[in-house]
Amino acid sequence: MRIDCHCHVARSFEGADWTNSDLVEAADRLGINLLCGSTPITHGMPTPDAVREANNVTLEAMGEYPDRIYGYCFINPGYLKASMEELERCILGEGMIGVKLYNQYFANEPVVFPFVEKSIEWGVPILIHAAHAMDEDTRRNQPRLSDGFHIAELARIYPEATLIEGHIGGGGDWEWSLKAIRRVPNVYLDTSGSVVDEGMIEKAVNMLGAQRVLFGTDCVMEGGVGKILGAELTDVERELVFWRNMKRLLELRKV
Amino acid sequence: MIIDANTYIGHWPFRRLRYNTVEGLVKLMDRCGVDKAVCGSINSVFYKDCQEGNEELAEDVDEYPERIIPFATVNPAYVAWREDLERSVKDLGMKGLRIYPLYHNYSLADPRLGELLKEAAALRVPVEIPLRIVDVRQRHWMDVTRTLTLDEVAGLVKAYPENHFILLNGIGYEKTQFAEMKQNNYRIEISRLTVLLTKTIPRLIETLGASKLVFGTGMPFSYPEPALLKMELLEAGLEVKEAIYWRNLAEFLQ
Repeated sequence: MRIDCHCHVARSFEGADWTNSDLVEAADRLGINLLCGSTPITHGMPTPDAVREANNVTLEAMGEYPDRIYGYCFINPGYLKASMEELERCILGEGMIGVKLYNQYFANEPVVFPFVEKSIEWGVPILIHAAHAMDEDTRRNQPRLSDGFHIAELARIYPEATLIEGHIGGGGDWEWSLKAIRRVPNVYLDTSGSVVDEGMIEKAVNMLGAQRVLFGTDCVMEGGVGKILGAELTDVERELVFWRNMKRLLELRKV
Repeated sequence: MIIDANTYIGHWPFRRLRYNTVEGLVKLMDRCGVDKAVCGSINSVFYKDCQEGNEELAEDVDEYPERIIPFATVNPAYVAWREDLERSVKDLGMKGLRIYPLYHNYSLADPRLGELLKEAAALRVPVEIPLRIVDVRQRHWMDVTRTLTLDEVAGLVKAYPENHFILLNGIGYEKTQFAEMKQNNYRIEISRLTVLLTKTIPRLIETLGASKLVFGTGMPFSYPEPALLKMELLEAGLEVKEAIYWRNLAEFLQ
């Protein structure tokens, strides 16, 4: 059993020519039973209409593969009323499993708080795009990119929230992120991204505990699975990472 | 048989590596079934006199002649590099070279690099070019700030047809001039390519032929399992897989 806690559905990436059928086929070949995906808008301050359109792409994928693809509802927290309505539409109405925040605001900015309170009320996780980027391009292009520090601060304000720090392998300084969230038990970490640094998964498990580490690919399929297979974990730890932890989070949902 | 084109030993100053001794590397190779590995010295990247790292590498791998294929790191911008090259290849038995233009602060258009490549061609040793060592997005603040681009490397490969180049840690070949570069003087190492979803390995096989690809992992910087998983998932005949696992690289090592 494997649950990918962080992927994207077809047409989420600019220029990507694969389909949801390709995604599910890749999952089949890697033994991934469930894909939790989203369609975030990665640049600028998207309007409520654009956000709605993006979430419709995720809903379409969920409709194509209802047993295989689950969705996160992407929102731009800058639009309080519209984004709250979008959450209601996608989570209450369409059965999405959580909230996806991208780089429109830092995770610890007050504009995010009402949505965290709503996620607590509904018992759904918030997956936050994150990295402690060390390169100029990323810093320039994503000036409000959250890292472990921002997420840890949000988690301390809302200890009942379930927060997932996105893609430890997404390219930032992952050692920074581990240290930042180490002592904040309501922050989970997903393993996705293209970076497959040897020892990364073991260090995450050692520092956070296996219960807080969630397998993900971010559509880096072989790398995502390969690094969990390669990590020196016990069978029990590997099962926790591959699926048990995410299954537990999904079971916490009240809606 | 599996030959890994892309391994290292030595101290990386910006992150603690496990398995970065020769014993550690061999242990990882045993774990994942890699028979032989091309290996360079990380220390050579950082020592001013990178030959010292080559000497260390030669001593370290001495006990594993059947497992480790040492490649010398040569810096053409440093004095007496010809002596280093000759010593490494003729005395130490190094089977190829690695160059690090960004770390050693010279451009691919530098005439001194041209001289080195001519010497390498005369000695009939292949040249490995790591386009990057680690992801620049997670760079240490004292590390290099960029990755070599495929276009600049393509220019070099075209300009020196007598050399054999092995390109490590690259991605996106299918979107560059490499997609149409049929010449047989280069190989692409697969550790960052894909079989599923974006399918860059099958696409390169289709456009360039399997003869251009070589297996590599990036150990001990990277887990070896993702690269092995790609090969396992690649839908290709035994002949193609063997070519990628070792034959294409062995051709350059002869």
